This record gives sequence, C-alpha cells and structure tokens, in this order.
Amino acid sequence: MPGLEQDKRFVEILQRLVDKSVDGYYNPYREFTWPDSLPDDRMWMSEDLTSTYGTEVEAELSPAERCRLSRWESINFYSMNVEGIRELIIEVMRRIHSRGFEVPSDFFHHFIGEENEHMWFFAEFCLRYGGKIYSGPKLNSIGHKDPRVENFLVFSKILLFEEIVDYYNMRMAADDTLHETIRKVNRVHHEDESRHIAFGRELVGLLYSQLAVDASAEQRRDIEEYLKRYIVFSLRSFYNPQVYRDAGINDPLGFRERLLADPARRDAERKSVRKPMAFMLKAGIFADDLLPTA
Amino acid sequence: MSGSAPEQLKKWILDRHPEVPDIEPDFDLLENRLIDSLAFVEFMLLVSRLSGEDIDMEDIDIDDFRTLHRIEERYFRAGVL
Repeated sequence: MPGLEQDKRFVEILQRLVDKSVDGYYNPYREFTWPDSLPDDRMWMSEDLTSTYGTEVEAELSPAERCRLSRWESINFYSMNVEGIRELIIEVMRRIHSRGFEVPSDFFHHFIGEENEHMWFFAEFCLRYGGKIYSGPKLNSIGHKDPRVENFLVFSKILLFEEIVDYYNMRMAADDTLHETIRKVNRVHHEDESRHIAFGRELVGLLYSQLAVDASAEQRRDIEEYLKRYIVFSLRSFYNPQVYRDAGINDPLGFRERLLADPARRDAERKSVRKPMAFMLKAGIFADDLLPTA
Repeated sequence: MSGSAPEQLKKWILDRHPEVPDIEPDFDLLENRLIDSLAFVEFMLLVSRLSGEDIDMEDIDIDDFRTLHRIEERYFRAGVL
C-alpha cells in the first residue's frame, strides 16, 4: 500500500493521536469502581436508545418491563462491543508492521492496547451484571480477492462500527438518569474512541482515494452496497431475540418482527448512523444515503 | 410471505440475488456466498420462525445451513416440507 507515508497530513495526524494516547494513558483496571449490583428499578440504557423506543410495542410495556428490557439491551450492547473489538483487534493485528502499514503501525500499538482494555471493561460489565456475554453465530467472512479492497473494507467496517457505538456512548455518558457506573463506562470509551474515529476517517478516506483511481463504476457500486449492508447488519444486531427472551418477552421472534416493521424505528436508526453516513457521502464512498431493507 | 417453508427460504435468498435464476437443493449456499456473514443471522432467524424451532444462536452447527436440502433435513424433517 504505497502512498500513506507520502501524505503529510496523515503522518502529522497520526503523531498527534499517538501523543494524545501517551499523555492520556490510564489504568483501566483501577479506573472503575464496580458496585456489587446495579438498581433493578432504573433504566440501564437511555430510553431513546432501546430497541422499542417510539414503537407501538413500547406502549404495551409497563415501566418495570421497560427497566428489565433495558438491562438486557445494555448487556447486548456491551456484548456487541466485546465481539466487535475481538474482530477488529484480529484484523489490525494481521496488518501491524506488515508491508504497506509501516506508517500507522506505531498508532496500531496504542489502538490494539486501548481496544484490549475496552474489551476488558465491557466484558467485566456483562459478566458482573448480566452473568453472560451474548454471542452470535460465527460465520467467517470470505476476504475480497483484491487485498487493496479487502484492506479498505476492513478499516471501513471498523470505522462504521466505532461510529455507531460512539453514538450510544455519547448519549449514555450524558444521561443523568443512568447509574454513574453505566455513564462512566460509556464516557471512558467515548474519550478513547474519539481518537480511533479520527484515525479511521483519515485512513478510510486515504485508502478509498487510492482505490478510486482505477476502480470501475461496478467495483465502486459493489463496495457501496456491501458497506451499506454492513450498516444494516449492525443496526439489526440491536434487535436480539436472546435479549427479548431474557427480558421475559413472550414470542421473542414475533416481538422482534413487530419492532422491525414499526416505521418509528427507521427514524431512530437514521439518527444513530447520521455521522458515518455523512462521512461516507462526503468521502465519495456512498453515492446516496439509501439503505437496503435487510 | 406465502408458499411452503422451503419455497419461502428459497425466495428470501433469490430476492437478494436477482442474478441467480434458481437454487438446487444441494447447492452450497455458504461457499457460494448466497448467504454471507452479513445475511446469516437474518436467514437463521427466518429458519427458526418457519420451523417453529427455538434455535440457539450461540450453539449452532453452521453446516446445518449449508444447503436447502440440509436445512430441510435438520429443521423440517417431520414431513412438513
């Protein structure tokens, strides 16, 4: 991947982000105080982030049922982080100090270290307060035959994942109806992720500009279609039937379908992906802001 | 969604792959990327809904979803299809 070292702006931004990581380094294993339990009669996730928000189904739930559901939805959210971070660490680990990634490798050390710590505190939350980490089926994705496209897709997916998570983190960090432990986990993650997102936007933009030089219109369409499907896949992960089952909902699959069919959910989903969609459009990666149904 | 369960599964896939005219029962859906990692969960949940079987997402055998024939044997074997 020639060219990254020639981009002065990219090199300067990397150095600034590395300096920030070093200056802001903290010990995550001492950063948090973990109470024995969190209150059952309060929401564990901001109400407007829950998968029932704004729907007809929501009106059928009692306040106690909403609290119970928010507990398992929050465990699902942190589990998604554990799963997502595992995958992104594997992908970055495959590339660190390999040909083409000489320039960002120093930053990768900080990235991998910080992501490992995030995975620890998210897993800690899930296991302490939910007794489990939700997991999904493991179907390995088959890499693209062109390594340049594969690199671009990998870092685009990492960026999209981080941006969606950050929307949730920022909202919950600022929500004073939530317990302080919940707010802090989200606040600390947001503070680190702002550097990772800044890096991701620079790298994805650069990789795409290199690709676009000789990519056909069809290849660009395929890339756009795949990444939009990834966004929809990520949004759908918030509607986890295992969560509904744990929250005591009858017919979890039927419940999920009713939520997905409710037009109010499209507005909520759009809000959560507003920033990454705007970035993808501005970078020329997306030609429009339409998303597939599933 | 109307039709028998296998017809519904096949239609679900074909709707997402207009370039594919039909799917043979023993055609490998995963190897040939008709179902990829982004589509797998939704497809699995569709199988769960149509079969009425509560599929444990954390403990499934991916090979049970490899072909329409295998899915039929595993999830619809009581002559439902």
